[in-house]
Amino acid sequence: MSGLIASVFFIVLALTANYIVDPNLATPKGYPDNRYPFEIKYVWNTNNIINWGPGINLYDGPQFFALGTDGWGRDLLKMIILALPVDLENAFIIVAGAAVFGTLLGAFAGYVGGVVDEAVLRVTDIFLAFPGLVLALVFAAMFGRSIPTLRLAILLVWWPPYVRLMRGQILAEKEKTYVEALRALGAGHFRILFKHIIPNAIYPILVQATLDLGGVVLTFSALMFLGFSPTPSLPELGNLASDGYQHIFEAPWLIIFPGLVMLVMALAFNLVGDGLRDVLDPRLRR
Amino acid sequence: MTEFSKSEEDVILEVKNLRLEFHTYRGRVKALNGVNLKLHKREVLSLVGESGCGKSVTALTIINLLPENAEIIGGQILLTGEDLLKKSQDEVRIIRAKRIATVFQDPMTFLNPVLTIGAQLEETFTLDKEGLKQALKFQRAKGNNITYLDFLSLERQSSSKSDDTKASRGDLKKIVKILCADVLKLVKLADPERILKQYPFELSGGMRQRAMIAMALARRPAFFIADEITTALDVTVQAQILHLLRELKDKIGSTTLMITHDLAVAAEIADRIAVMYGGHVVEATETREIFRRPLHPYTQLLMLAIPDATKLVESLATIPGTVPDMINPPPGCPFHPRCPYRMPKCVEKFPETTYSGEDHEVACYLYGG
Amino acid sequence: MNKIVAVEDLKTWFPIKSGLIQRTIGHVKAVDGVSFNVQRGETLGLVGESGSGKTTVARSILRLVKPTSGKVYFHDIDVTKAKRRKLREVRTKMQIIFQDPYASLDPRQTVNSMLTEAMGIHKVVSTHAEAHGKALQLLEIVGLSEEHLYRFPHEFSGGQRQRIAVARALAVAPEFLILDEPTSFLDVSVQAAVLNLLKDLQKKLGLTYLFITHNLAVVHHMSDRVGVMYLGKVVELAEKDAVFRNHKHPYTFHLMAAIPVPNPEIKKKEVLLTGDVPSPVNVPSGCRFHPRCPWATKRCSVDEPPLYEVGEHLVACHYDIDFETGEVKSERGLKS
Repeated sequence: MSGLIASVFFIVLALTANYIVDPNLATPKGYPDNRYPFEIKYVWNTNNIINWGPGINLYDGPQFFALGTDGWGRDLLKMIILALPVDLENAFIIVAGAAVFGTLLGAFAGYVGGVVDEAVLRVTDIFLAFPGLVLALVFAAMFGRSIPTLRLAILLVWWPPYVRLMRGQILAEKEKTYVEALRALGAGHFRILFKHIIPNAIYPILVQATLDLGGVVLTFSALMFLGFSPTPSLPELGNLASDGYQHIFEAPWLIIFPGLVMLVMALAFNLVGDGLRDVLDPRLRR
Repeated sequence: MTEFSKSEEDVILEVKNLRLEFHTYRGRVKALNGVNLKLHKREVLSLVGESGCGKSVTALTIINLLPENAEIIGGQILLTGEDLLKKSQDEVRIIRAKRIATVFQDPMTFLNPVLTIGAQLEETFTLDKEGLKQALKFQRAKGNNITYLDFLSLERQSSSKSDDTKASRGDLKKIVKILCADVLKLVKLADPERILKQYPFELSGGMRQRAMIAMALARRPAFFIADEITTALDVTVQAQILHLLRELKDKIGSTTLMITHDLAVAAEIADRIAVMYGGHVVEATETREIFRRPLHPYTQLLMLAIPDATKLVESLATIPGTVPDMINPPPGCPFHPRCPYRMPKCVEKFPETTYSGEDHEVACYLYGG
Repeated sequence: MNKIVAVEDLKTWFPIKSGLIQRTIGHVKAVDGVSFNVQRGETLGLVGESGSGKTTVARSILRLVKPTSGKVYFHDIDVTKAKRRKLREVRTKMQIIFQDPYASLDPRQTVNSMLTEAMGIHKVVSTHAEAHGKALQLLEIVGLSEEHLYRFPHEFSGGQRQRIAVARALAVAPEFLILDEPTSFLDVSVQAAVLNLLKDLQKKLGLTYLFITHNLAVVHHMSDRVGVMYLGKVVELAEKDAVFRNHKHPYTFHLMAAIPVPNPEIKKKEVLLTGDVPSPVNVPSGCRFHPRCPWATKRCSVDEPPLYEVGEHLVACHYDIDFETGEVKSERGLKS
């Protein structure tokens, strides 16, 4: 239950983020976009105008930063809020893509069986063997670091579990009497598969997908953390944390808070997934 | 069917006013609402009823195999006079283990699939070390191999003195092996030596059921509980098992509480039949008597609803309505919504059990109550 | 033609695969040469124990499993060879009610959805209004009411679910209905109601039934003719009374003797079959029943008996046996 509330909170926040906080704040003031500034001071709270460096005045007048600032003097809290839509959008797109693709493929393989099934399984196994980060590295090297490429990289390693999951469900469901009854009634394969079998088999997929939302956030953030970010100043949880990693002793908040947010968000989704499983399972068992 | 004593001293098990409820997320299921039973020595009492009537639950309560959400609300279970419900968990466990043996419907789930039949049978015998020591003593005195029937008779001789027989592990093991082979012969499993080495999945359904019966026999219990043991069997195999049970009853005078939904099976093997409905026993008497004179309306309708291959009827009598929802059972007598003789007082309170003639109990206002 | 369904030498074997490359090492000969007809308007009962193949026969007739050889004629269409479209046509005329009322309905479909889907597949109706009307009609025929239309399967009892299954089958207006143990999972009182309903419908709608069961009392109540199956073959086929009171096959004799009679006054002579019901993987040579038959002779272990015709009574046994006395009266099929 608490997971549900937290998740909803995050989702709402993510959806409205761009309206709460001015996205322009993400663009570091006074510096061109892809140059990392040096000799910047990190501040927690400031009442005075801080000397940001030679000839640079980022803020006029005293500022209060609830979570401190990052290397560009941006308010961390605001950056985190701005990071949410980025992360969640990624998560949903990747999970949805992987789930839909994996589910359809798994359903097809499970239903048709035979050689097709074997072939699909082998292909799936190959993809299952790929380490996601390595693949992302290769993609980034080949196609440059952009969000779509990274999404694709993660998606490519994320779909195999869905194939197996769905295939297993289909195999079980396929043998059930009501399927035989439908066949006796003259129902065609498409109808049976899409109108009957898949809806009955979809529950574990939903649970898995919910759990995966958290997982993808973490994976994507990990990639960002390792430096795959298309632009250094992109507000993204992993990216923000990556900044913090380098200055962990001077400005620990920079890694703590993005990390904390990631943790809570992933936990929230996990709880929702667990709760979903509990709700759906006993009904199924009855 | 052999004669059995009807006197009070011969009552091995008495269930008095047993009440039990299950806590489910949909509400409390009032499974047993005052069940009364008497099981006499050497008889086969068959508990008959349809699904939901509480017959299996009654058996499970007697052997304490209830799920966690079961709550015993009241009543007594008297095993030769001692109320099992009043004893501590440990005491009860020992008593039940030593004195009641149960055979279930599906031997595949109740036999350990990774142990051979021999291993499981030996384990059962080995649990009774005292008995084995006695057996050893007996065999030494007898001269040649002990048989299971001998073993059975040993219990009847009470030996309260502590036994100082010298018995090594090897000796006991030998005795166990002899008894295993003999008990398998008793249940008509051909080639016992081979069966002992086989695993449950290698046996057919009928053979597994016999193996289960053998394991129950190994415990030398005061009585057996057979819970729908022939329901899953083919009709020819069922006939074999029923025949075996009859033989055992004649040979060793076993006492059995037999649970079944099949009145025909009960007719074949039971001395007495108790009919259950909605968590109550509504009628109980000798088998012949209940077929000759079914008193309770439910019993009457049930008999008319069973197709009989020796008679030809145009359409079977049906009982209008459905089995009651035990979360909200009908007030008073649970059968009243479907009863053709319903009276106003049937809705108020469940009738008392009265006797019609000698030894024919019935719980219905039509006969007093 | 009065024959609605004709089964000719039907064989349905299931391969047993083993090993890494899944070689076929043997077959489960579930149905191994079965022939019979079903006449219009009658109920043919098919009895047998596990391994007899009766359920596989049902599925083979409807082509839910693919027969290995032999023919199944519905009117004059060969179902085993029919192409997709023809098969669909035939499927409206032949329907099946399954044993397990809890599994044969899609738990996510309402009754209405089930009925309208059935009608929609075969375009029995053309408008929604028509479909709705027909659905109500069907519910009424099976003894349910309008309030049940929008409920889900788990809200019904076993007996009610079977009624829904019947309604669904009737939605496509079949002529021939296979009933595969329709009441085995139901309580006695509910069974009675469902059986009465089936009998009723047969009269009202002129249906033809193939009633498959292991329960001899039920088959006695429902059938006109009865066929007894053993290990993939029909061993006896005759009018109901002939099978029950004047049976000719030793297996039938033992089967009848094994039925528990709900009447303690009747003292049956105890007749027991030795051994267990065999598996259709290793089929005995000659007559399949010979290892367990008290009257088996050398000929029985070598020479598989065909279905001899004794008037209208078909029996697959070389000998004419008087079961009362146990003596063999004569031998059949001797080449003189």
